[in-house]
Amino acid sequence: MAQRYVIVGASLAGATAAITLREEGADGDVILIGAEREPPYERPPLSKAYLRGDVPFDKALVRPAAFYATHGIQTMFGTRATRIDPLARVVELEDHRRVPFDALLIATGGRNRRVSIPGGDLEGIYSLRTVRDADRIRAEMIAGRRAVVVGMGFIGSEVAASLRQKGLEVVAIDPSKTPLFHVLGEAVGQTIAELHRAHGVRTVFEDPVVAFEGTRRVGGVVTKGGLRLGCDLAVVGIGIEVAVEWLGDSGIHVDNGVVVDEYCQTNVSGIYAAGDVANHYHPVFNRRIRVEHWQNAIKQGAVAARNMRGKRIAYDEIPWFWSDQYEANLQYAGFHTKWEQLVVRGRLESGGYLACYVNNGRIDAAVGLNRAKDVRRVIPLIKARRAVNLEQLRDESVDMRVLHASH
Amino acid sequence: MAEFVTTVKTSEIPAGGVRAFDVRGTRIAVANVGGTYYAFDDECTHEQCSLAEEGELAGTTLNCTCHGSEFDVRTGQVLAPPATVPVKAYRTRVEGDALQIEV
Repeated sequence: MAQRYVIVGASLAGATAAITLREEGADGDVILIGAEREPPYERPPLSKAYLRGDVPFDKALVRPAAFYATHGIQTMFGTRATRIDPLARVVELEDHRRVPFDALLIATGGRNRRVSIPGGDLEGIYSLRTVRDADRIRAEMIAGRRAVVVGMGFIGSEVAASLRQKGLEVVAIDPSKTPLFHVLGEAVGQTIAELHRAHGVRTVFEDPVVAFEGTRRVGGVVTKGGLRLGCDLAVVGIGIEVAVEWLGDSGIHVDNGVVVDEYCQTNVSGIYAAGDVANHYHPVFNRRIRVEHWQNAIKQGAVAARNMRGKRIAYDEIPWFWSDQYEANLQYAGFHTKWEQLVVRGRLESGGYLACYVNNGRIDAAVGLNRAKDVRRVIPLIKARRAVNLEQLRDESVDMRVLHASH
Repeated sequence: MAEFVTTVKTSEIPAGGVRAFDVRGTRIAVANVGGTYYAFDDECTHEQCSLAEEGELAGTTLNCTCHGSEFDVRTGQVLAPPATVPVKAYRTRVEGDALQIEV
């Protein structure tokens, strides 16, 4: 029987699911609904090559715009879904249209958390999530102007780098001790702080921004410690909140995103979630995790699509992402929240290292700076969930692939 | 017109390894898969990483570890994103102990 597949969220996860359905021979309708007007695109370039004007938007498209029609994927871009009726099995749209489904994927991602401090709504204060956000920031990126970056997570760090690369003066401000402090910890975070300082960023840590100043347009920021810093623009990167409010009365279990099992299915049969919005039970880590990475969006989107067609595939990819800043290639693999030991291969001070977050002798996660191959090679060790020889791990003369077989 | 150009000794490319050479002004990577040599442009089509330096070879699949793109070394075809454009592949042949690449 022909099925009707509906995907809400024309994101990387949503688009990948639609493409996967067609590539794997799904007949019946595939309907891709998204609030943004653009065809689905990838977000990594928005803070890097696209923001700097090095690549056109077309390069970021998941598929050329014409792909969807030629592959029988019905698209509703610029259309917001407002409600799911799980009993009638219908998605309601903001224009009151009703879209029936047999299987549904929720891939609505998130939106930027906003600052709630005085002056937060002045002109010249930006956040970055969509291509339109990127275009607004780009229009302000004139060499010599002064920018403040509020929040030195991955987006803030990448934006700070891109702003410097375009010749702006940059002050980076974060309430923590270092960039990426909560994810990577102080020792690794310091190396990222050094990277930015070496490229001329002024850094202000352990001192949160408490107000933006200006009349109509932002002219400066004030920190809790009393610093007053003039600026021509500000970019705020303080994380996202998941887009789940439209699920309010659906009966779908929401807890830090849409709760799904290892098969990406919600508590409601036939309704799935993938990408940034999905709080997924990860069989390798034996817990739920919600991952906001490019790779997760693609791979989870594809697995969800297969399961929408009746397969039972557990999604068990090890989370992985890269964050290019200046000429440096930073990568992270795995999942960790705390660690007993930080085992470093190479030296943190050297500009090239692999730092492993170890609990009970097992590597839960690793971060590599300019060590792409080591990150690739550590992934099987993370996935194996076995204790590894930490001395060999530290020893750069030992090929990491040896460790794969050492137990 | 394309012709076979003698490049390096095959012994310079270890089994399971990838090495890059300048061949008439083009940087070309060569992978040794169990004694068969596959040649392709060294520059990843995603963001210009050197495939010889950053590539991890498993069978005939080359993972560009910079950003995870995967290519089939036999054809240059993309097997996994973020790359979307194939790398150009070149024909090779072995003459004695010399590797020849058709450019």
